[in-house]
Amino acid sequence: MMTEKLARSAIQPKNALLNVSRSANLPHVPGIRVGDYLFLSGMGPIDPRTGGRNHGPIAEQVRTTLSNVKHLLESAGSSLERVVRVHVVLADISHLDEMDRVYREFFPVNPPARTAWSMQLRFGNGCEIECVALVD
Amino acid sequence: MREIITAPLPGLDLRRHYGHYQSPAIRAGGLIFCSGMIAVDPQTGERRHGTLSSEAQVIFGNLKLLLESAGSSLDRLVQVHALIHDSAEYDVLNRVYRQYVANGPPARTVCGACLPDGARVLIECTALA
Repeated sequence: MMTEKLARSAIQPKNALLNVSRSANLPHVPGIRVGDYLFLSGMGPIDPRTGGRNHGPIAEQVRTTLSNVKHLLESAGSSLERVVRVHVVLADISHLDEMDRVYREFFPVNPPARTAWSMQLRFGNGCEIECVALVD
Repeated sequence: MREIITAPLPGLDLRRHYGHYQSPAIRAGGLIFCSGMIAVDPQTGERRHGTLSSEAQVIFGNLKLLLESAGSSLDRLVQVHALIHDSAEYDVLNRVYRQYVANGPPARTVCGACLPDGARVLIECTALA
């Protein structure tokens, strides 16, 4: 039984240009920490140098997005190795294999649980990636 | 601590059969996070193409095997994401779904999506370890 009430705290990326919810005034935060878990908002292909969107080839978009996820995790005291579950949403399901090729570079061993699918994405993004990780 | 849960039967490892780069499930901090499951034969990994209803039944059978091998069960589900290829089939999903969560259904979201491997339905779940 839980004996104390868990607190919930918002986490922020060290690079403020990746704080899309703040820069675009959207009603969400980059991530929430609860106990030993970190729940991140969906991240898109934001250029970490400009804060603008990188709508290049899908492989490049996935690489940018996962680099941003890595930055967010590390800003909050976690890391890619501690990612538990990932949602990969693509604009086009035919990009699955290409996404996978880049994805492997970020999780070289013991990859997290994952679900990948495609649906219409906002802002013309080719991918959006959301994850749950451990912080400890 | 984060622990990989391996597939109890070879067909349930979608990485092996479909190249999906993922672990079948991960146990972490009291919860089990499963990768999205599609209708595959649990022994051979072969796709069990069918109606949404028949695919959902295969998926629940597979999730039961996976969760039980990890010491959990369908009665311990916390949250489910069900993705269906045609949102008009929402009621069809519900009919099958009810049979498998009869002892108190978990939180759930259903949405229409394009799915890999020609799947009509994909179910992803989080359960208590």
